[in-house]
Amino acid sequence: MSCATVTSLRALPRVAAMLVAVAVWVVPVLWVVATSLKPRTDIFTLPPRLWFTPTFEHYRVALGTADILRGLSNSALVATLTMLLTLLISIPAGYAYARLRFPYREPLFFYTLFTQMAPPVGFLIPFFLAFSRLRLLDTHAGIVLIYLSMSVPFAVWLMTTYFLDVPRELEEAALVDGCSRGRALVRVVLPQVYGGVAVTAVLSFINAWNEFIYASVLTGARVRMAPVAIFGFLTTEETLWGPFAATAVLIMGPVVVLALLAQRQIVRGLTLGAFR
Amino acid sequence: MRPSRIYPSPGEGPAASAELPGAVPGGRALPRLDREARLALLLVGPSLAVLLAVSTVPLLVLLGASLFRIELTRPWVGGFVGVANYAAMLEDVRFWHSLQVTAVYTLTSVALQLLLGLAFALALSAVVRGQGLLRVAVLLPMILTPVVVGLVWRTLLLTPRYGLLDYLSILLGLGSHSWLGDPRLALGAVIVMHTWQWTPFVFLVLAAALAALPVEPYEAALVDGATPWQRFRFLTLPLLRPAIVTVVVIRLIIALRAFDAIYAATGGGPGTATEILNLYAYRVAFNSLNLGYGAALTTALLLFTLGATVVFGRVRGAVEASP
Repeated sequence: MSCATVTSLRALPRVAAMLVAVAVWVVPVLWVVATSLKPRTDIFTLPPRLWFTPTFEHYRVALGTADILRGLSNSALVATLTMLLTLLISIPAGYAYARLRFPYREPLFFYTLFTQMAPPVGFLIPFFLAFSRLRLLDTHAGIVLIYLSMSVPFAVWLMTTYFLDVPRELEEAALVDGCSRGRALVRVVLPQVYGGVAVTAVLSFINAWNEFIYASVLTGARVRMAPVAIFGFLTTEETLWGPFAATAVLIMGPVVVLALLAQRQIVRGLTLGAFR
Repeated sequence: MRPSRIYPSPGEGPAASAELPGAVPGGRALPRLDREARLALLLVGPSLAVLLAVSTVPLLVLLGASLFRIELTRPWVGGFVGVANYAAMLEDVRFWHSLQVTAVYTLTSVALQLLLGLAFALALSAVVRGQGLLRVAVLLPMILTPVVVGLVWRTLLLTPRYGLLDYLSILLGLGSHSWLGDPRLALGAVIVMHTWQWTPFVFLVLAAALAALPVEPYEAALVDGATPWQRFRFLTLPLLRPAIVTVVVIRLIIALRAFDAIYAATGGGPGTATEILNLYAYRVAFNSLNLGYGAALTTALLLFTLGATVVFGRVRGAVEASP
């Protein structure tokens, strides 16, 4: 047996594992996309029909449903606001934890991380009680405020790790040249962590866009979010698979696009916790 | 029990943190340090104010609520009841059942994720071509809207006869089943779903750890004629141990928070077959509208998560400290 055959035979299980991995995680997603484009009569044909004339009928139905359209725009608004506020709050905090000396720095950082340990179900009851008194139920402000509780701890921690990677010398040089700390932060340090800002932005947007528990209890008809609205196609009386799949694609589409744009950074952001 | 500061006004942030003990170290500190500390508190102030308002105050409210009887369907029976809710919990068969389901769900799915993630990481560690495609593929399940993932599994994948996975099961000769409707199959089905969602996380972390392993021991082992199994058992596994422990700890803590996908797929049913503690607390509070008892259940859940975090953190620290 020649050397080349040995290596190619050795590679066989690896190639097989690769194909299995891609199939296991990609096929279900493609299946949703295919269903969303199938004519109604083809959705339930067995064996599954792989060749069909694509139709946008289900998307028309989905977007023609007031609840879905409003859900998508509410979700987009709330996720964008959450992302912007998260950046506004967490960039300065991350910088301070990474660079400045101040009393109780470690305990405060630990506190920030620790707040995200609590399961969201734990916050539902207090938020419900508080929001019904403060008249914040079913308002954009209320739900954005709650989403900050999910995104701020994570974002502060992520930004801190990115600021720690910036060489101190850069900033010290700027300080020596007469820059104030604020100016040095904006002009010299911030451009070095644009990657980190992008990951923080993308992940806080995705988290808010995907959120379900708070949205299901603390919002109603006015501020209904897309992940809650999609349940409307799956009632006990009828299951509209076509429009359901189309809505699923509309909800997951933006997330997938963002993930494709920033995949390396997101993988780093998601797995960072395992290495620190 | 009135949460007075749920909504931080602008400018409240720095003020709130200036009240922290020790924030003003008096005249002892050098002027430069003093200015640095003040700037720092200005920068971290808003984040602390937000977290205080949306995370610490709510937890205190939760603790308070668990000592009251609050039933929205019967508003007239309210009042302070002390630890009665907790006493009721200990006698509640459904509570103990939900704990059992949580344990099975969490431990089984994390074990499966570890086995599959490690297998994939080992098998794919040397693959050069297609890394980009692979990264996208494994990224998908982790970032897709969990509640939509749950609904997709419930409909397009697991519906008897028409779901893709049920069709596969028929092709494999296993027959068609009501995967989520049969109490004997439902828990297994949601465990498989959770494993599908989160094996990629284990895979990514372990693949990165594998890539960072030193080469020298392997060269020495090859010279000594070690078999692949020996190399795995006596080199790779011990070297990966810290990464494995870390990933298991993180997955266990996050699995304890699982809610969306399982809620969408089964809602805890059929009956209580897939009712993890999270779902039971949610059902008590927002389906039966018994907020006081729901608060006691979620407090118990919080304590479990906290305990698990502390215990797992210790284990992780011990493993990292050992040679």
